[in-house]
Amino acid sequence: MGVVVLGLATAFLVYLFTAGDFGGAKRSYPLFARFGQVGALAQGADVRVAGVKVGTVSKVTLDPATFFARTQLAMDPAVKLPTDSTAKITSDGLLGGAHVVIEPGGSPDNLAPGAEILNTQGAVDLLGLIGEVVRPKPAPADTGAK
Amino acid sequence: MTLAGAHWLTPVRATGRLALAALATVGAIALFAIRGLTAMFIGPWFPGQALRQFIAIGFYSLPVVGLTAVFTGAALALNIYTGGGRFNAEQIMPQIVALGITRELGPVLAALMLAGRVSATIAAEIGAMRATEQIDAMRTLSTDPFRYLVAPRMAAAMIALPLLTLVADIVGIGGGWLVATLTLDFNPVVYARSTVDFVEAWDVGSGLIKAVVFGFIIALMGCYQGYTASGGARGVGRAATQAMVSAGILIFAMDYVLTTLFTER
Repeated sequence: MGVVVLGLATAFLVYLFTAGDFGGAKRSYPLFARFGQVGALAQGADVRVAGVKVGTVSKVTLDPATFFARTQLAMDPAVKLPTDSTAKITSDGLLGGAHVVIEPGGSPDNLAPGAEILNTQGAVDLLGLIGEVVRPKPAPADTGAK
Repeated sequence: MTLAGAHWLTPVRATGRLALAALATVGAIALFAIRGLTAMFIGPWFPGQALRQFIAIGFYSLPVVGLTAVFTGAALALNIYTGGGRFNAEQIMPQIVALGITRELGPVLAALMLAGRVSATIAAEIGAMRATEQIDAMRTLSTDPFRYLVAPRMAAAMIALPLLTLVADIVGIGGGWLVATLTLDFNPVVYARSTVDFVEAWDVGSGLIKAVVFGFIIALMGCYQGYTASGGARGVGRAATQAMVSAGILIFAMDYVLTTLFTER
């Protein structure tokens, strides 16, 4: 019994630290998307089309030249997306659970593996928006007056 | 009429007797602890005894601790989900569960299960040896019972409990993860990552420091109650119960004190 507990604990610990690391990217093709703001989007988050999971976010990095967040998506090979598709970051709740939603476009050509989705819409900083409503920023002319 | 014979003094006398008895007990336990610690740090040691105790205390407590932790983690996850839902903040559940388990529930639950399992066993074992005069025989053979009986148990408990706490932390978070992914539609990978990214070394470390202290309390109360047991079989039973109850209460009290020290302000 003790061995079983130790084994399960070790297995879960390994899972905790390796979850979201996509080494071989088995049976998936990569797509890239740039966002101005990814918010709470993390590695391992879902990629959905029409609410159905079709892939996962395999990497989130910062492009040091443009300061945009560059995400790599591991997509289900069965799902081919038109080149003019739109990638959006939305969330389940108010404070998290961010995932990528792709709205397929109408182009006859499909995105090739390794291609970049050009139409993107980053995460909405909800708390920032609330903050602006509660305490609006002063007009540009007023800055420095204080 | 002399003062000593006055009836109206009886309650005062009883209070005084109780207070003195309580102070005497605290002093006796403190002296016992010092003698035990001295024997633990200054040899000669009995490594074989310590290893046997370590296996009895640590390894054989794994199933109990694991089961306790997994169910607690699961229930905690559901409760925090409910609480978070009132602020539309269900998504921070993994972080709160991880913090609650590593800082508080892991060490305290492991310690409580050990208080029930180990403290009572130690008290009964040493109490029976006291009742059958084995401890006196040991002293006659110039073997210090503190070195042979008390120190190995203290060392074993102080090493075993932090390790058990680590297991309880992992299994407890695993329980929360199971419930979150199976019944609450959390993404398993995101749950795992938000836990790993959020937990700091100090969250786990402070829990482990607690566990060392709790391990000491468990062994101390077991040894003390067993060592001072008197009155044959009934005395042994009483010692086992008292070891468990006093260890439990001291664990909660020390938990509050340590948490106060660990809370930055």
